[in-house]
Amino acid sequence: MGYENRDIPEGINVSETHPLKEFAWLAAGLIILVVFSVVALSLAAEHLTRYIPFSVEQKATASLSKRYTDEHPLSQQQLQVQNYLQTLANALVIHQGLDDNMTIKIHYVDDDTINAFATLGGHIVVFKGLLQMMPHENALSMVMAHEIAHIKHRDPIVSLGRGLTVYLALTSIAGVGNNSAFEDVLGQTGLLTMMSFSREQESAADREAMLTLKRYYGHLNGAAALFEMLEHEKDEPNLPSFFNTHPLTDKRIKAIKGFASSFRAEGDTTVKALPDFLRQSL
Amino acid sequence: MANLIIFLVLLVLGYVFGQMAERRHFKSIIERERQYKHIMCFNERTLPPQTISPEVALVAGNVVISIDYFKRIVAGLNNIFGGRVAAYESLIERARREAILRMKAEAETLGGQSIFNVKLETASIYKGSGQQVGSVEVYAYGTTLIKRT
Repeated sequence: MGYENRDIPEGINVSETHPLKEFAWLAAGLIILVVFSVVALSLAAEHLTRYIPFSVEQKATASLSKRYTDEHPLSQQQLQVQNYLQTLANALVIHQGLDDNMTIKIHYVDDDTINAFATLGGHIVVFKGLLQMMPHENALSMVMAHEIAHIKHRDPIVSLGRGLTVYLALTSIAGVGNNSAFEDVLGQTGLLTMMSFSREQESAADREAMLTLKRYYGHLNGAAALFEMLEHEKDEPNLPSFFNTHPLTDKRIKAIKGFASSFRAEGDTTVKALPDFLRQSL
Repeated sequence: MANLIIFLVLLVLGYVFGQMAERRHFKSIIERERQYKHIMCFNERTLPPQTISPEVALVAGNVVISIDYFKRIVAGLNNIFGGRVAAYESLIERARREAILRMKAEAETLGGQSIFNVKLETASIYKGSGQQVGSVEVYAYGTTLIKRT
């Protein structure tokens, strides 16, 4: 017939690369790309979000805050606690030197969670659980001044800006891959970084709080009291959420002690007790 | 963290079983190609002029091959950086050769000696974003010539 099928040599249609080697190269490239872009983007976002005026933050959170307070009305007693905290915060605000347009609003939550946090728009949430642990006013002031310092430094909006930018970047890389597994792995790391303060931000807030307490009380006695208590309880299995994201308690105590010894205490150096009504209402 | 572990386990499983299946498949393909070597395939649409009107029949063979998890991840990385998607090349190669082999097997049962006008069709079976199961189908078909007895 004159027709024939010649033997085709093996492997002419397939690239001769070891799949594992190729995977290693690609994965390394992706990791470098992700790390580089995350670092660059978060630096840029940190820098740029500072230009968002505080009033925008306030406007954005106003309705949310109002809805929350409407839905969770406080009893007379709880309101008294909240007012006390607000008064203490106002005094600390003056000694910390916040911008005039920055207002601090304290929200007291009747819950056993041992936590307090600062969030967008100058809102600070304090839980009953944390108040119950407070040995005296000075320890409470340290925590409050720390949270106020976060607001002063614009940490909530900076963290959100950074977190959102990184999240968007990672999901768009994952989108290029169009692969659910990538989305899972990358998306989750992005979410983790959203709205959590960095160690540097925490340390800066601690320093600011120490300065505030020095101006307010003239001394730092009792400022480390809460952290010392937490340090003692460290062996217990359930770590209070308050200090998960915060610098190591041990280091914080040392920093406070170190700062306290750097100047001479003035005036009455005894710690101030918490008011009686507060003790009763907790 | 749990997701990362699941991801890595799937990756290792995909690699081990995917490679095993691929090696075994290629071995069997090469073996059967030798076995069916006497049935020749051409993409010509017209028969050689000297052919004396044979009996003809449509023969076809199709195959669906799924990608493994490892290949999908590597291909996903290729999507970002570009370049040859070597992970899929061997997959498509397997599907093409397997489809032709199945077509040849059908021709043999009919007593055909050659297949003319061979064509390949391909389709991807793909569930889209989210739960992705990527498979490729290759369909080979042609006209087999059977000598009248």
